[in-house]
Amino acid sequence: MRKVLILGVASLTAGCGGEGGQRTASNDPFCQAVLPAVEAFMAESRARNPTPDDPRYGGTLVIGSIGELADGMNAAISTDYSTTQHQQFVNLMTLIDYDPEGNARPYLAESWDVAPDGTEITFHLRRDVFWHDGEQTDAYDVAFTYETVTDPLTAYPNAAFWDNYVKGPNGVAVVDDFTVVIRLEPHAEFLDPFRSAAILPEHLLGDVPRDQLRVHPYGTQCPVGNGPFVFAEHRPQDRWLFEANPAFPDALGGRPFVDRYVYRIIPEQTTLLTELLTENIDVYISPGPDQAQTIIDNPNLELRSYPFRNYILVGWNSRRPQLADARVRRAITMGTNRAEIVEAILRGYGTVAHTGVPAFHFAHSPEALPRLRYDPERARALLDEAGWRDRDGDGVRESADGTRLSFSIKYNTGNQQRQDIAEIMQSQLAAIGVEAQPQVVEWATLLQQINTPELRDFDGVIIGWVAEFKVDDTDLFHSERIDQPYAWSGTQNPEIDRLLDAISITVDRSEATNLWLEYQRVLIEEQPYTYFYFPDRLDGVNRRVVDVVMDARGEWVNIKDWYLDPSSR
Amino acid sequence: MTKYLARRLLGAIPLVIGIATIVFFAVNLAPGDPTLRFLAPGMNQEVIEQMRANFGLDQPMHIRYVKWLGAMLTGDFGYSFSHSRPVLAVLRDFVPNTLVLSAVALVVAFVLGVLLGTIQAVRQYSKVDSGLSVVLLFFYSMPSFWLALMLILTLSLFARNVWELPIWFPASGMVSTDYEFLSFGAQLRDRFMHLVLPTLSLALVLTAGIARYMRGSMLEVIRQDYIRTAHAKGLSERVVVFKHALRNALIPIITLVGLYIPVLFSGTVFIEYVFAWPGMGRTIYEAILTRDYPLVMAGSFFFAAMVVVANLIADVLYAIVDPRIRYE
Amino acid sequence: MSSDVGSLVVEHHQGTSRGGRLLSAILPGLPQLLAGRWGVGSAALLTWVGLLWIVVARPSRVASALGGAWDEQLAVGTLVVGLSTAWLWSWRDVAAAHEVKRVGVSVWELAVRAFSKNRTAVAGLLVIVGLYVIALLTPLVAPYDPAFQGDLLRERYVSASAAHPLGTDQFARDVLSRLLYGARISLLIGFVAVSISVTIGTLLGAIAGFLGGIVDGVIMRFVDMVISFPRLVLLITIIALFEPSIFLITAVLGLTLWPGTARIVRGEVLSLREREFVQAATALGFSKTRIILRHLIPNALGPVIVAATLGIGNTIVLEAGLSFLGLGVQPPTPSWGTMVADGRNVLLNAWWLSTFPGLAIVFTVLSFNLVGDGLRDALDPRLRS
Repeated sequence: MRKVLILGVASLTAGCGGEGGQRTASNDPFCQAVLPAVEAFMAESRARNPTPDDPRYGGTLVIGSIGELADGMNAAISTDYSTTQHQQFVNLMTLIDYDPEGNARPYLAESWDVAPDGTEITFHLRRDVFWHDGEQTDAYDVAFTYETVTDPLTAYPNAAFWDNYVKGPNGVAVVDDFTVVIRLEPHAEFLDPFRSAAILPEHLLGDVPRDQLRVHPYGTQCPVGNGPFVFAEHRPQDRWLFEANPAFPDALGGRPFVDRYVYRIIPEQTTLLTELLTENIDVYISPGPDQAQTIIDNPNLELRSYPFRNYILVGWNSRRPQLADARVRRAITMGTNRAEIVEAILRGYGTVAHTGVPAFHFAHSPEALPRLRYDPERARALLDEAGWRDRDGDGVRESADGTRLSFSIKYNTGNQQRQDIAEIMQSQLAAIGVEAQPQVVEWATLLQQINTPELRDFDGVIIGWVAEFKVDDTDLFHSERIDQPYAWSGTQNPEIDRLLDAISITVDRSEATNLWLEYQRVLIEEQPYTYFYFPDRLDGVNRRVVDVVMDARGEWVNIKDWYLDPSSR
Repeated sequence: MTKYLARRLLGAIPLVIGIATIVFFAVNLAPGDPTLRFLAPGMNQEVIEQMRANFGLDQPMHIRYVKWLGAMLTGDFGYSFSHSRPVLAVLRDFVPNTLVLSAVALVVAFVLGVLLGTIQAVRQYSKVDSGLSVVLLFFYSMPSFWLALMLILTLSLFARNVWELPIWFPASGMVSTDYEFLSFGAQLRDRFMHLVLPTLSLALVLTAGIARYMRGSMLEVIRQDYIRTAHAKGLSERVVVFKHALRNALIPIITLVGLYIPVLFSGTVFIEYVFAWPGMGRTIYEAILTRDYPLVMAGSFFFAAMVVVANLIADVLYAIVDPRIRYE
Repeated sequence: MSSDVGSLVVEHHQGTSRGGRLLSAILPGLPQLLAGRWGVGSAALLTWVGLLWIVVARPSRVASALGGAWDEQLAVGTLVVGLSTAWLWSWRDVAAAHEVKRVGVSVWELAVRAFSKNRTAVAGLLVIVGLYVIALLTPLVAPYDPAFQGDLLRERYVSASAAHPLGTDQFARDVLSRLLYGARISLLIGFVAVSISVTIGTLLGAIAGFLGGIVDGVIMRFVDMVISFPRLVLLITIIALFEPSIFLITAVLGLTLWPGTARIVRGEVLSLREREFVQAATALGFSKTRIILRHLIPNALGPVIVAATLGIGNTIVLEAGLSFLGLGVQPPTPSWGTMVADGRNVLLNAWWLSTFPGLAIVFTVLSFNLVGDGLRDALDPRLRS
């Protein structure tokens, strides 16, 4: 009997092994048509461009992260941060990218001209970029991508990118095979969308109805890109496998150093840390601050920490009577010791935020702003002045008509840092006579409660934003957008409206800087959010990976230049 | 037998549809909306409406229910919102992985349970008996995610980095990243190594129950006349127990398979999450959180169907093993 | 003690009982200990000394609790009842030592006897009783308020010290205090959820078994349906529906547990239905309600008690599992499950955070399971040796 059982186990495991390899690609007609072409072109390119004789070439790089690359390489429909990074730096290409200082530089576009009146950009494309199936990347791909992402049918998630562009076919014109013109209204930071939106292959997706793009196999089953890494395999919830692209232009550095790059999905953080410590993965994307010390203590590992683009905030619903008065909101902010929270929760890996303008932004200069520091005395005085006093001696303030200064702070399930903020705020605000009750809500429900204009079922909400390089608060605070999903605070402030309008059309940066400063002063006075902090981005990296650059542009920004210490392979 | 099987299968259909219906309404009545996951600044209401229409969410719920049920009966489970693929294709990816994990865990649990239960019965009321039941209950009393984390810390992290043992187990995934380049033998070993921790975490929790039943069942069998006769004939203890008693004591244990399958599937939610095992348990949990209605419903349907099948198999096995039972 | 023991022995007993009473008046349980009855003796003595320690060590807390919140008053009540029970029991026990005890013959007494022979089960029972007593006394014993946050910069993640015997957590809160308050939540959830499920399960099972026919068919098909579905999937589906609250979690845990009980009760009732006393009751024309409530359910209760005991343990584990998925009892309310789940990310640098509540869960559930197993053995005559 025992013999039978062991055999049974073996055949089960072996049976599954056989079908592992090409499973996701095997059954869809689109993929079946596309993948042989990729195979052929790659074989041909490998023969044409043999790997240079350099010890840096070779090996498998493994990156571990908690999340799946949602929607894969389909740049027309995805929002997820890690996914976008893979589109920009791994599998696809963008027209331009940024240098470490945030200045635009050529990538797929060799150069570009801006019309003197600011209504046209002309991109001149490289002539040595090929899709992984052998087709050349040309102006028609750019035009196709532009029309697709500006078409409402596609439901491109970052539609705000295109607010000041001429949408649809009228907004783009192909001049010749490698020259394309985009039309727009003059506005600030108009190049940023082309850093973000990766170009998609027209010859493969041109015939797909726009509302069907979301369910098309291209994104997660057989993406065909033109970037430094070629898609090889995707096992959902498990891993993505990419291989070095031998046809990547030499002028852009040629093929990446590593032979294979694996992105592994490991949802539990303790498991991820263990895998990093046991050297099963080379990079652990974004460990928690509590795990940082363990990584620092290990001689084989390095902890990367750098200022990033996301910030955490508590949004106040000013439609609620307790929170309608800006003085109350300012008092709440002053009654919360944010510096201490950064020190405690983030273990110092972060900076207190006063507005949503992050460190990489040209207008970032917090020292020029009237910041609200932790000052319980002034907070109490401000609340007294606003008419909130503890009239019945229960420790919580009331207004003249008996409304208690009591509200809930919602946050989503499974987010330890937000839970921590809620609990600490509850405890610190109690000291100034304000009752805050943490309330956890499951993510999808929370989004519905805060985003639905008719509902807005929250008092305070802890949430985070990842800012794009072009910072734009119009959706958040402009009174014209008050019926749109993101007007959580319900802010109606003519000064804010005027400044947001002015910022959005000011192209000159020094002029814009002054507007930004003025805007931030009003914002701090209005205090629609209690801005909490900009957490530093943390990454655990095995020292065998060399030449890694990670900064506000992201973890993957120069992944094609990483190489593995030859002695470690 | 064929007739009996057919009747059982027919009887199971309303059961499975009933479960699917409950889950359909539970999921669809829930607050939250699958499109909200895709929201981004500047997206206006029309875009969202368009997305809802793409998902088929613009129709009233009862119409969706009828459509869904009709489609499901013809084998069409619809499209998964979060995977952007047909639900059936998603199931094809994840179901085999969960089945491998559960099947191996079930086998391990039963082998351990039967063995330990037999030992306990033979040594009833001895220190071994009570010691074993306390140890087994200890594992049974642990939250399985906690047991899983402890196994990772000890048998993976500490075993490699602290105690520097020659053998340590990988903490996640089904295979190593260099799996494709291994020889067949090394591939088998690699798969085995990746199975050890998740299987142990799932199986140890079940073992206590199986051992308990086995002990009771064995105790009853041991007292039967034919066992006494065997003893009287002068056969050794080992022969009596393993050749004569074990087979008969195993019969009632078979019914446990059907009982433990749902427990096992519940366990996979935690185990697959902790060990990054790409299976159904984790997928259905994530589908619930992202409101991927078609996937949640198909996943529940799958779980229910598996349980029905497992019960059926248990009954058939029972009939094969126990000649006293005949199905008409 | 049988009646044919000689007079000398009786005299001897009277001799000890005079000194024994005095001893019992000061230290209840000690006379029993001296007489070699370790179990009851130490239980009484520990209760007495432990409770008295609270009064002596925390007189101000006890005094202020008298006029405090309901849970504080309950704690004082527990204190008083516990002290007087230990004292009175020991006193009467010593006084009655020479009296001849009646030899019990009822099924229940047989079961109690069988159970008390099972040492591990008795140990489990003592742990459970102890846990509930401590849970009731928590407001008097816990060193800190479980929600009180210390100095965030200096007192976070402090390992065990005199001030914090089990260390502090990420908010510089005292882990021991949270563990004690967490016991209340976890035990309460287990107890209430199982009460719900036992009530529903017993009633429906008895009705199905007794009435038979269509009613039986409908109820049991529904039971089949719920049982053949992974309970956890059902739980997360329902809890994700609403905002998780302690009431919702308890209710949902209870409402998904009953089918097992219903099946057991139905099985028992089916066999009881054919027994003489039920036939007699039917012949006498008693109403069905009366037969179910007065005759069937009480006689089917044995296995139900076993299932309930095991169910409490199961529920506590399941609540921990829900917390791991972020769907358990929500902060700042401490439950063991949330404590384990929240502490797991710092297992490597602050192991005490999730280890102590984890051990608390394991030992509590273990105790429930040992008691359940012991009860099953005790109530099942076939397994008695």
